[in-house]
Amino acid sequence: MDIAAATTIRQHLIDPEICIRCNTCEATCPVGAITHDERNYVVRADVCKPCNACIAPCPTGAIDNWRVVPSARVYSIEEQLGWDVLPAELTHDELAAAGVPEAVIGVVAPAVAVVATADPGEPVPLDAAHYSSLLPPWSAAHAYANLYGPKAPTVATVTGNFRVTEAGFANETHHVVLDFGAMPFPVLEGQSIGIVPPGADASGRPHRARQYSVASPRNGERPGYNNVSLTVKRVTADHQGRAVKGVCSNYVCDLKVGDKVQVIGPFGTSFLMPNHPRSNIVMICTGTGSAPMRAMTEWRRRLRQGGKFEGGKLMLFFGARTREELPYFGPLMSLPKDFIDINLAFSRTAGQPKRHVQDLMRERAADLAGLLQQSDTYVYVCGLRAMEEGVLLALRDAAVAGGLSWDALADAMRREGRLHLETY
Amino acid sequence: MSTIDYSEKIPNNVNLSQDRTLQRALEHWQPNYLAWWQDMGPEGSRDFDVYLRTAVSVDPSGWAQFGYVKMPDYRWGIFLNPGDAERKIHFGDHLGEPAWQDVPGEHRANLRRIIVTQGDTEPASVEQQRHLGLTAPSQYDLRNLFQVNVEEGRHLWAMVYLLHRFFGRDGREEAEALLERRSGDRDNPRILGAFNEKTPDWLAFFMFTYFTDRDGKFQLCALAESGFDPLARTTKFMLTEEAHHMFVGESGVSRVIQRTCDAMRELGTDDPAKLRAAGVIDLPTIQRYLNFHFSVTIDLFGADQSSNAAIFYSSGLKGRYEEGKRADDHRLKGDHYRVLEVHDGRLAEKEVPMLNALNEVLRDDYIKDSVGGVNRWNKVIEKAGLPFRLAVPHKAFHRRIGALAGARIAPDGRVVSEAEWNAKVGEWLPTEADRAFVASLMGRVVEPGKFANWIAPPVVGINKQPVDFEYVRFG
Amino acid sequence: MSADPNSPESPPRVDFRTDPSRYRHWKLNVEGPVARLALDVAEDGGLRPGYKLKLNSYDLGVDIELADALNRIRFEHPQVRAVVVTSARERVFCSGANIFMLGLSSHAWKVNFCKFTNETRNGMEDTSRHSGIGFVAAVNGSCAGGGYELALACDDIVLVDDRSSSVSLPEVPLLGVLPGTGGLTRVTDKRKVRHDHADIFCTTTEGVRGRRALEWRLVDAIAKPADFDRVVRERADVLAARCDRPADAKGVALPRIERTIGADRIAYAHVGVDIDRAKRTATITVRAPRGPQPADLPAIEAAGAAWWPLAMARELDDAILEMRANEPAIGTWLLKTEGDAAAVLAADEAMRRHAGHWFVREVVGFLRRTLARLDVSSRTLFALVEPGSCFAGTLAELALAADRTYMLALPDEPERAPALALSAANFGTYPMANGKARLAQRFYDEAEPLAAARAVIGQPLSGTDALALGLVTAAPDDIDWADEIRIAVEERASLSPDALTGMEANLRFGGAETMDTRIFGRLTAWQNWIFQRPNAVGDKGALKVYGTGEKAGFDFNRV
Repeated sequence: MDIAAATTIRQHLIDPEICIRCNTCEATCPVGAITHDERNYVVRADVCKPCNACIAPCPTGAIDNWRVVPSARVYSIEEQLGWDVLPAELTHDELAAAGVPEAVIGVVAPAVAVVATADPGEPVPLDAAHYSSLLPPWSAAHAYANLYGPKAPTVATVTGNFRVTEAGFANETHHVVLDFGAMPFPVLEGQSIGIVPPGADASGRPHRARQYSVASPRNGERPGYNNVSLTVKRVTADHQGRAVKGVCSNYVCDLKVGDKVQVIGPFGTSFLMPNHPRSNIVMICTGTGSAPMRAMTEWRRRLRQGGKFEGGKLMLFFGARTREELPYFGPLMSLPKDFIDINLAFSRTAGQPKRHVQDLMRERAADLAGLLQQSDTYVYVCGLRAMEEGVLLALRDAAVAGGLSWDALADAMRREGRLHLETY
Repeated sequence: MSTIDYSEKIPNNVNLSQDRTLQRALEHWQPNYLAWWQDMGPEGSRDFDVYLRTAVSVDPSGWAQFGYVKMPDYRWGIFLNPGDAERKIHFGDHLGEPAWQDVPGEHRANLRRIIVTQGDTEPASVEQQRHLGLTAPSQYDLRNLFQVNVEEGRHLWAMVYLLHRFFGRDGREEAEALLERRSGDRDNPRILGAFNEKTPDWLAFFMFTYFTDRDGKFQLCALAESGFDPLARTTKFMLTEEAHHMFVGESGVSRVIQRTCDAMRELGTDDPAKLRAAGVIDLPTIQRYLNFHFSVTIDLFGADQSSNAAIFYSSGLKGRYEEGKRADDHRLKGDHYRVLEVHDGRLAEKEVPMLNALNEVLRDDYIKDSVGGVNRWNKVIEKAGLPFRLAVPHKAFHRRIGALAGARIAPDGRVVSEAEWNAKVGEWLPTEADRAFVASLMGRVVEPGKFANWIAPPVVGINKQPVDFEYVRFG
Repeated sequence: MSADPNSPESPPRVDFRTDPSRYRHWKLNVEGPVARLALDVAEDGGLRPGYKLKLNSYDLGVDIELADALNRIRFEHPQVRAVVVTSARERVFCSGANIFMLGLSSHAWKVNFCKFTNETRNGMEDTSRHSGIGFVAAVNGSCAGGGYELALACDDIVLVDDRSSSVSLPEVPLLGVLPGTGGLTRVTDKRKVRHDHADIFCTTTEGVRGRRALEWRLVDAIAKPADFDRVVRERADVLAARCDRPADAKGVALPRIERTIGADRIAYAHVGVDIDRAKRTATITVRAPRGPQPADLPAIEAAGAAWWPLAMARELDDAILEMRANEPAIGTWLLKTEGDAAAVLAADEAMRRHAGHWFVREVVGFLRRTLARLDVSSRTLFALVEPGSCFAGTLAELALAADRTYMLALPDEPERAPALALSAANFGTYPMANGKARLAQRFYDEAEPLAAARAVIGQPLSGTDALALGLVTAAPDDIDWADEIRIAVEERASLSPDALTGMEANLRFGGAETMDTRIFGRLTAWQNWIFQRPNAVGDKGALKVYGTGEKAGFDFNRV
């Protein structure tokens, strides 16, 4: 059961104040979700996928508006046809009053997709590659680690679990929100936590904990709450492609709101983000490696919203097999261009050549070099081990093309806590 | 046979690299097009890097690629909306027959005329607007002007594609002629009257893109229904681009109004003289510009009774706006429509055969659509708490084509005497003084994020870029 | 409404092929240099049901036999130098086209019938002019309407002076139509009858007899019944004496033209017709001779009717008649040729070298009349000069006869490019109805373009060359070709067939008029107009009520 979807939806709306009634969206929509009268152009919530095919062709940007509303209270097209202005976002209290469970409110905020780290693996610190820094950035916040060990896990309550990839595609990914209640569990972006699945393995030993990077920022999935989010991919095959039912990922993906979960951690003290003004962050990830990137991006976004932090540049290279397998594609695309420079590589889009993150990095080499030249630039790489070499080569070539010595740069970045790789 | 690397230089989905007919035609035409752009394209803009949208394919992800481009290097492409092999002609005498993939010889001359007439408007508007870049009120607006210009250029390419691909030598000669006519040239004018008018200032430009490009939208919509499938598919894709032009117009006028309203509130006056002294354009002047552009544009739909319109419709060449969504028999024989004429000193309706009145039908659809935007402009004034309201003039006002041509009709639809017309025309249409005043405001603003005093900044930037983005890098 | 030849109501196909063994209406006798063609129409022998061919009146079937008989005389009886055209009946020579047949026929049928009869009569004059065969009309009984028009086509008219037999053109007073088979025109242009006499003559139902007929130049001689045969014979002998046809030559038999007719094609040995009903177009392809061709006279005579110029001409002639009579909805003919242009030019050369020989002269005559038939066909003619074609010499006349000629230009592939070539034959061998060569007509007799064309006789001309010389309309290259042709053909097929017929006839015959062009132009146009008017074909029209005893009701307003 898709709990959140049963209670809220993110409804696609057109801003009648900005729309010029040019009909482009209606002509573009592949499913006929858009219609109009003499006054307004409107979107049928029950028909819209949303596939975003209408977003780019809209000349005004009026098309790119979204509202979280209770499923039972979507704006009908009759309502929309009567609007002169878009309604305000529903507040937390309004959503709660509409019967939306507390746990779900807030988790649908725009955010970068989050995917769990590998499931079949030990709860040990992730390998650092040769180039990876062992130290955090100088401006990183203090990270607490190992507050709860396997012998004394703490308990969290599931307050949300819903699917964030399109149904019918190979990768099923869930967004899971855990609340720690009154128990202290401070985490920073880039840290991970361990989840202990109940029961025992075939030989009767209790299951080991599995480790997942948190996908939420330091002040909670919902700001001010003691909760974290994980985005967990249901594992159905091992690295060699053999069918394997991942014990922990299946356990997590099947959790219901209200279930209790045993948690250990937090883990990790170097893969942390810089906090000083005008520090740039370059994020390179594939599929399951995007969780920490989502957390860092979301933290910077909240700081920007607060208006008191002067952020640097954010540049994201994100690879997935297909657009459909990229969780939260919509929210990602709606981040302002002057906030984050997003580059998506899809390796298996029908009819298009394969593109990997390193291909995109090479295309953007000039801009990448510009960032590498700055001592306030921090680079984070997370994903499958196979990407590591290609990404490092692309970084090297960008640096060299930008007139930098790669050896000197790599050495400096490693020493200064500015290059972090987590691959598995 | 050619030196042009077609697939690289000319994004297309018409299999250009395999099509010798097109290659041969373009080999000759493309250099002439570039020469035309050099001579008649945006003045003094050659070396600017402009943040432009380029279409590289027709799917939602490919048709809007943003990046810095020098305009002469813009990749003017050739795109048709994806086809439907089963498509049937859905109106006129050929209703139910498969849509034509080739020009039916029977309709060759009419189709060519339709395409040439449409195609002629595209370079014409670039010519009309070529000096505007020198007085752009902001980088944002300059970029929008250039976007409009390159896309008008692409629309020319789209029509030329049809001429080259489907009309043989005749088509090639017509394509050349499209580059040879000149807007406003008395000896060698563009085909349609409104495209020989000047676009002297940015208010005129915004009005033009709001009203006249909307005529383009309606013409393209009617052609998108055509039984000649390549024309239908070409114009459908052009419509996605035309939308941007109307956006520039609607938001442009809206921002002018916004700025004027702000000034009216700040100064607490609606006195045009005081407002002009404050460097903003008073609302009555905006109304006069509106009257002018509206009336000139609705003439573009042609005579209110037209046998050509009937022939174009019955032979399946040009449908009505939203033909596919209408519920009648799509043949219209025996149907009637009311058109206006001056009778005994008053405007009177006359019932005429629907088929002959199809220009009027399209004009009325257009008017309905135009009024919507004017109402949205009024919302800006309303929000500012001001009582003034803009209105489109009566459709009989200031007409030069059709039964109402030359009739003296006030904007409210009253038939007036020659004397009253002469006395009031200065209240109804922009005067020399109005134009001189607006011209006096025009001055170039090039610093990112800065705007001329007479216009408000936009609410959002282009392609989610901030408003103060560097939309144009001056070489 | 278009006439669908396959619909149940449509008439049976007209076959223009016949031979003396099949004649029902004419008797052909040859005695030395004089042939006797005697009309004896079988009353029940009408081509269509619904009328009886009384009083030696004729329909298309009768005229098909006449046309055939003339060809038999030309080819099978080289010794014939004069032809007596007469009647095998007592007291009636010929009473003209059958009125009941005309009353029953569609407009198109009437027009097509008149065209063919005109061509046959013009053919008699053509043969008299070019081969010297004299025609004597031995008018041995009453001679009315089309009967007198037949007589007018002869060189000499002898009227029996029996106090009752007259010649007359009663169409106007009796039928409310014109004597449309050349009657009006020949009375003035050929016989120089004064126009006021002609006026009386043409409005008098009973016609003019005896001496007055002679005085008014309506006949050349009158003879009492007892003297009639002798006078005719003497006058025939006089005409025969001016002819140079050989007394001892062996005739060339004209075997039946072999062809196969399918739903959409007619196939001959040298000619093919392919019909595209959807596009209302027929492609007529004429093929060059294949294999060794006779060059000297014995070989040519031995080949006889199988000699390519004659065989091809007979087939093309039959194809034109077939298409005109049986495929009225096929409004555009695309003329193509196929084969070795050198072989065509060699045949031209053989014809030129032996032009004085009676048989060669007749073959050229056949070609001349066939090409002239093309000129007056009410169909759009587009010639398409494509690779593998042989528009050379005689066959280049097809391109010159066409309303438009498209020639493929292949500047990058000269070895595959089609060529067009002129021969001496294009400069006068095949005059049109107006007496001019098609090239001369094309250039309005202007010396400069004609000299330029003459300068390239025998040279293969590319599309570009031919265009520069003004010999073709357009020379699209291979990229444009298919679309250019398709659009031109489709566009043509969409235009009004009536307007096209009128326009094409006007444009093909610009410039000076001759008696023949006046017959095909002025007379025919007026007649076709009258044929459409209620005064002729309305319920009370003269043509409709003829023979019913009812009086015709006219709308007396002049138009």
